[in-house]
Amino acid sequence: MIQSMTRRWHALALTLTIAAGAVFMAPVHADEPKKFKIYLSLSYSGNNWMSETANIIKALAKTPPYDKLVDLKEVISGTDPQAQIAAYESMIDAGADGVISFPISPTALNRVVKRGCERGVKFFMYDSTVTESCAYNVSYISAGFGENTAQALVNELGGKGKIFMVRGVPGTSVDKRHADGAKAIFAKYPGIEVVSEYYGMWDDRIAQQETAKALAAHPDVDGIWSELGEAGTLNAVADRGGKMVPIVGENMNGFRLGFLNPDYQKRGLQGVSSGSPPATAGYAFKLMMEILTGKRKQEPVSIEYPLPWATSEQIKLCNGSKIENGCNVFDASLVPQGFSTVIHDDVLLPEIDLRAALEGKPVDGMTIQPLPAAIHQAPPEPGINCQRCEAPADHYKLTVVQPTVAGQ
Amino acid sequence: MNASPETLPSALAVVDQRAAAKTNPETVTAIMLLLATVLLIFGSKLISPALGSWEQVLTILTLGSFLLVAAFGQGLVILTGGLDLSVPGTFMLGGVLSAAWIGSGDVHLWFFLPTILLLGGVVGAANGLGVVLLKVPPFIMTMGMSIIVGSIALGYTGGSTLGAAPTLLKALMKGDTLGVPNIVLLILVFSIAGWLLQSRTHFGRNLYAVGCSPAAARIAGIPITRTLVLVYALSGIASAFAGALLTGYSNGATLRMGDAYLLPTVAAVILGGASILGGSGSFINTLCGVLFLSTVESVIAATGLDQGWRLIISGTIIVLAILIQQAQASGARPGLSRLFKRSSGQPKS
Repeated sequence: MIQSMTRRWHALALTLTIAAGAVFMAPVHADEPKKFKIYLSLSYSGNNWMSETANIIKALAKTPPYDKLVDLKEVISGTDPQAQIAAYESMIDAGADGVISFPISPTALNRVVKRGCERGVKFFMYDSTVTESCAYNVSYISAGFGENTAQALVNELGGKGKIFMVRGVPGTSVDKRHADGAKAIFAKYPGIEVVSEYYGMWDDRIAQQETAKALAAHPDVDGIWSELGEAGTLNAVADRGGKMVPIVGENMNGFRLGFLNPDYQKRGLQGVSSGSPPATAGYAFKLMMEILTGKRKQEPVSIEYPLPWATSEQIKLCNGSKIENGCNVFDASLVPQGFSTVIHDDVLLPEIDLRAALEGKPVDGMTIQPLPAAIHQAPPEPGINCQRCEAPADHYKLTVVQPTVAGQ
Repeated sequence: MNASPETLPSALAVVDQRAAAKTNPETVTAIMLLLATVLLIFGSKLISPALGSWEQVLTILTLGSFLLVAAFGQGLVILTGGLDLSVPGTFMLGGVLSAAWIGSGDVHLWFFLPTILLLGGVVGAANGLGVVLLKVPPFIMTMGMSIIVGSIALGYTGGSTLGAAPTLLKALMKGDTLGVPNIVLLILVFSIAGWLLQSRTHFGRNLYAVGCSPAAARIAGIPITRTLVLVYALSGIASAFAGALLTGYSNGATLRMGDAYLLPTVAAVILGGASILGGSGSFINTLCGVLFLSTVESVIAATGLDQGWRLIISGTIIVLAILIQQAQASGARPGLSRLFKRSSGQPKS
């Protein structure tokens, strides 16, 4: 019985694989042979961050001159590495020129990536990374979100106080890197006590519920260090009334708007907004296109995207959907609170505006702007962008903020 | 929907007697769960002196309310011998549409909110029709429906869920009325309504009959198709409402917001003493199960243990609680339920 069921499952899986393969292998635009065949591979979709990155790439692919050069196909393969492996396989077989992807695992995809490289496919990973050396990684991970935000919190608290750590998804290399960096800083200050450490799963709803629980146990908390989901962390702190504590977090619109809220300001909200920028995806796509079109010579490398950084005083509301004069947050009526705000960069990604990030449509009259020639190579991060390597001695060195309180 | 008097002949009297005979162990289970909950809340003072406060109780009630509302629907479905795995789909549907269609501007709130709940009901009714007419096992039917609803939502939103929470929902979760938090009133009103529906209406009694033995219920003249379709529809409405409440609480929605609620709804119903095979259970007990589960989660969160240990402890407590509850139930009425199940000869999915 079990055997026959297993066989049936195998048969079903095989059929599905063949069917998927057939879809990918179907001749695409045979009459436009000059176009580059680019695949966008997402691990899962269902949060704002992921769809913003996809929209940015789609908008760029429709911005002249890439609208005539790129044939872009999007594949969403869920949270299972096996599904993404199968998707990559199909893309390689379909004759992809480039694959731009948010990889679900830093190691599980290595073999298929290597096979693709051997067939001449360029792999560009954004935000998350793979350790296979023939792929290009473009990420902010090595830029030190954890240590810099931790130091900012320590500075704000004068070197002592009880804090919460709101982590991301347990078991991911990104969460570990952020938390390790933060803890390396907190460890220097004996006056800093982490009274609660919990997982918000990079989701503002879960972060809010978990923070509400932690606040019930530790109402005397002095500050909060939070990975993505910090808009929920902020809501939980705001909901309980009274004095608010400093929060350092990522780039959610609802979090940044909190710093402009007069009531919250009166209640003492301070903090820093940093973390994962969706703009990385656009930068990765532009780099890939410059290499594919021969404008840039670059061997596979891990490239660091600069760490976004805005203190509570630097938050500035954008006028409508226009991103100009250094504004960095949108009105609540335009985007949900979970929208990641860093979608544009005056130098690296001037092509993108709010509509592009929300709908994947190119900006009227915009053309692709060349990237600066120099790239910032990322330091080795074991298990993140290299396999058998060692982190540099100054692994958690501060880059954006300096200590104002002496540590040990 | 009430069954007409002629649909309740003598066969149901047997069910009524069974319900009366069960009252005792069910009440014991409820009291034990409540006692354990109160003990946990006071005992948590040992972990942190700030715990055991009214603020903590309010946090537990607020975070438990989503589970309570969704578990009400799950409880009805389990009572009939089914299982509703579409909770994540309908939950998300309620949450995402509340943010996208109504939003913080309260656009046509009084039209859209009932429409959204009705949509949840339509999805549920489709589950019911599949189960009754197409004879698809509830497990498969509802799981498939959840995937379909999730996929439609992904296509419709493009992954980016827009909008924020309507004022009414925010007020429900966070406001006060005459000094009493609205969330307490909501839980009170919902619990009384749920209890009345399940235990004091013909429709509710029909569910016990269907769950105990569909064949006997059919002979007794109970409209099985209508009853089951309505049950799944109610579950869809309940879980869409739970999703809308979570949107109100967190001021936004995501496509995965319902995922975390599927298994806890089943756990709360079973903890309350209901049989996973159907035919027994009461909503007051589910309420006690929800309070216990939410309290366990809240207290464990305060321990400061690693995530792994937290999950191990909460899993162990749930298993232990179910073991104790079953031992107590079978001790109170030795073998009765098992005997009945065997004699009915109805394998349940």
